[in-house]
Amino acid sequence: MRMKTSRFGTFYLSLFFVILYLPVLSVILYSFNASPSTAQWTGFTLDWYRTLFEDRVIAASFRISMEVAVITSIVSAILGTASAVVAMRSTAGMKRAIQGVMILPLLIPEVALGIALLIFFNLLNLPFGHFTLVASHSLFCVPYVYIMVQLRLKEIDRSILESARDLGATRWQATRTIILPLVTPSIITASLLALAMSLDDVIISTYMSGPRTTTLPVHIFSMMRVGVTPKVNALCTLILVGMFFVVGLSQLFTKKRHKEDL
Amino acid sequence: MRGCRRWQLNEHFDRQYLLNYTNFTTTIVAQAGKGLFVKQPLLSLVNINKFFGDFHVLKDISFDIRQGEFLTLLGPSGCGKTTLLRCIAGLESVHSGDILLNGSSIRGMAPNKRNVNTVFQNYALFPHLNVYDNIAYGPRVKKSMGEGELKGKVADVLELVQMLGYEKRMPHQLSGGQRQRIAIARALINEPAILLLDEPLGALDLKLRKHMQTELSQLQKKTGTTFVYVTHDQEEALNMSDRIVVMDQGVVQQLGSPRDIYNNPVNYFVTTFIGDRNILQVKVVETSETHAQVQFGEHVVTIRNSGQHRIEEGQTAILAVHMDKMRVSCEQTANAFVGEVLSVHYAGSQIRIRIKVGNKSITVVEYQKIDCDCEAGDQVYVTWEDHGATLLPPEDGWAEGEV
Repeated sequence: MRMKTSRFGTFYLSLFFVILYLPVLSVILYSFNASPSTAQWTGFTLDWYRTLFEDRVIAASFRISMEVAVITSIVSAILGTASAVVAMRSTAGMKRAIQGVMILPLLIPEVALGIALLIFFNLLNLPFGHFTLVASHSLFCVPYVYIMVQLRLKEIDRSILESARDLGATRWQATRTIILPLVTPSIITASLLALAMSLDDVIISTYMSGPRTTTLPVHIFSMMRVGVTPKVNALCTLILVGMFFVVGLSQLFTKKRHKEDL
Repeated sequence: MRGCRRWQLNEHFDRQYLLNYTNFTTTIVAQAGKGLFVKQPLLSLVNINKFFGDFHVLKDISFDIRQGEFLTLLGPSGCGKTTLLRCIAGLESVHSGDILLNGSSIRGMAPNKRNVNTVFQNYALFPHLNVYDNIAYGPRVKKSMGEGELKGKVADVLELVQMLGYEKRMPHQLSGGQRQRIAIARALINEPAILLLDEPLGALDLKLRKHMQTELSQLQKKTGTTFVYVTHDQEEALNMSDRIVVMDQGVVQQLGSPRDIYNNPVNYFVTTFIGDRNILQVKVVETSETHAQVQFGEHVVTIRNSGQHRIEEGQTAILAVHMDKMRVSCEQTANAFVGEVLSVHYAGSQIRIRIKVGNKSITVVEYQKIDCDCEAGDQVYVTWEDHGATLLPPEDGWAEGEV
């Protein structure tokens, strides 16, 4: 009886993963398909990757995406960490207020957020481009950094900070020499997450992109209008590999962090 | 104006000098005829009050801490001893009263500005810094010495706590006792006027705790640093301290030498908290200057009366006698209780004998070979050393049914 349940469990789980990952696998597979149609497999080729790298528009939008993502992750790392540190030092009421403000962007539907930002930036007469993209991406990335850093701060024993003060450190010195080194792994993990989220955001980026600043996901979306070409498959495969790399890197930092704990 | 300032500087220098070398400067200063010397306490607590919300944690606490002493704050958990320590360190604020260090108020001063350092209960070592950097932390943030001088100082304090050679270790690679030593070294490198220790041995096992007790008091003597030590363990307090402050419910119950606290408790709380005592309700028959005659059941015995309490004839009183200062004898003795042995327990080095006297059961702890090889059911005579007994007037908190 027991055996049967466990066998069913294994089967169920396998099915689950197959259904989940089959489409992803097919994207990778078809990126190497010689035929431009997804209907049949006619042979192995790297042609799609070659045309991909020759495509200037894709290269340009990739560059924009990367620039926006890197700046976004830096901005949200700074803002998120600062808010978490301030929240830690605040009274209970203030802490709750900061928490609320931080979580809010995650609760607002992205479509609504996008439209709101569009109207807002339009009103301010700001040109849509790098700035609007970074500002809007930071809006939904800061909360993730805040949450992750705040979780780490909670783990830090309060008496460590007290002993730093006791030994002669000013508030700022204690923050710089004790808190920041202890939360750095969390900050790095969180900013890699922010990088990943900024890189694959479509909805808000659609609203925020300027005429010459289309991000990669927005461009892919527009390419889809003329049908899925194997070039898109090739591009998605590369993005997938890139993301795995980023996530793997962040895992590495999480591991290192646990080693240091007493 | 300029002259005035210089004079102030001189006075300041003199004071520091005095405080550091109180003993032999006394004569020098007297000879110099400056008349400046007043024996000032190192730290004075003046009517300290502290609330956590509505809870009155510290109630009007006042006492002085002397230069170079080992002072212990002793009390049950929740008595406010750790809070008081944190108030001295500056980690908690006080609601009223004042804290004077070398005569000047440090109330409201940030913890990093106070010349006192704390050893925390859980050591609070910085997990991301190695032993060397942990110890060097204080001088570095205060920029009080160059790296060259620092190197020698770190080696000095490491030698003091017998941890030379551990500079490169990370805190998580150290045992509890080793972390403890590093925490002490990290505080001592700042040469604090007072070292505050918050139950530093609480997390160690019994054997290591005993060992560290000896080491701590040796360290205190060697460095001459004033130690203020918080503990709930009376044995620790009696072993190490020059003076003990017994606290309960935010109030200082008694302040005195270990011997004083142990033999002459001032009230019912200290009597029951320190040492193991048999407590009996007695009737006072007659009092003299040094002794009192009291009646317990049909026994009338003479008890030492220290004279610090008002014991009135005809009143009831509390008689408290140290279990280990009582003796059991088979022969009839004067000034003794007669009782029947209920049980005899051999507990290693000590023998615990329970004896029924009147309607009460008392316990006698004997260490040596007993004069009287008694068994349950035997009739025995119980005597006691004169200074082992204390007579107290009845008071609040004394419940007859309890004893």
